[in-house]
Amino acid sequence: MNWKKFFIAFIAAFVFLFVFGFLWYGTLMHGAHQEVPTLLRPEAEFKNHFGWLVFGHLVMAFFLTMLYACFVSGGGVGAGAKLGILVALVYVGVNLISFAVQPLTTKILWGWILGDLIQFAIAGAIVGGIYKSGSTATS
Amino acid sequence: MKRFILAFIAAFIFIFFWGWVYNGVLLKDIFAEAQSLFRPREEMMGLFHWIVIGQAGLALSFVMIYASGFAGGGIAAGVRLGIMLEILAISARCAIYATQPFPAKLLVLISIGGFIEMIVTGVIVGAIYKPKSTRTP
Repeated sequence: MNWKKFFIAFIAAFVFLFVFGFLWYGTLMHGAHQEVPTLLRPEAEFKNHFGWLVFGHLVMAFFLTMLYACFVSGGGVGAGAKLGILVALVYVGVNLISFAVQPLTTKILWGWILGDLIQFAIAGAIVGGIYKSGSTATS
Repeated sequence: MKRFILAFIAAFIFIFFWGWVYNGVLLKDIFAEAQSLFRPREEMMGLFHWIVIGQAGLALSFVMIYASGFAGGGIAAGVRLGIMLEILAISARCAIYATQPFPAKLLVLISIGGFIEMIVTGVIVGAIYKPKSTRTP
């Protein structure tokens, strides 16, 4: 495994996942989320738990990169996007289960599904594009 | 293709029953402590098909990822994939914990159950699905 390329891909994926999450879930879907205020932490409480949000995205980016490196490290952008879509489909399954057990609106459900597919397809493509060129070099 | 379908069906059956036993029975009282975050039982039962569809989707995507890049590694590769997918799920739970008022205890217990679920699913899929080139006549 090329750890230098791995680290760059991991950081790039983290930055993208975090920024996309803020724009999609935190900004574009803000109104939809406000329809179920009892399911969400109040603003002040959320700020106290913000570290968990960052940590979650770090772990997500790290293991998406790890999965790619173990999966098809020489596959490039296309293989990375394919892996990202498959990982997103795992989350789609979880989203559907969450919809069945939690009082989420269908607008939130579809927003999460679409967001996951776009987010992981692009994150996978980023990882594939960065990691590919150094995959044959060993460290 | 036959083994792909068999692996998917076996994984789905396990995920369904594990989810029912672990989340529906063993963690029933823990979930009840956070009842305000969940749909009432009658309403949830009306949406039960989404649970089944979600679990089928989970099993299908697991087998697809395994078949695309891990097949050939057998049970060990299945377990490795299961562990990585569960860590990804835990990272999503960290984000959920930051935004939704779930008790930490509930999320920890769900994650422990998730690890068991994904590792066993990996064993099942790794044992059943084998690419053509590694199959014995």
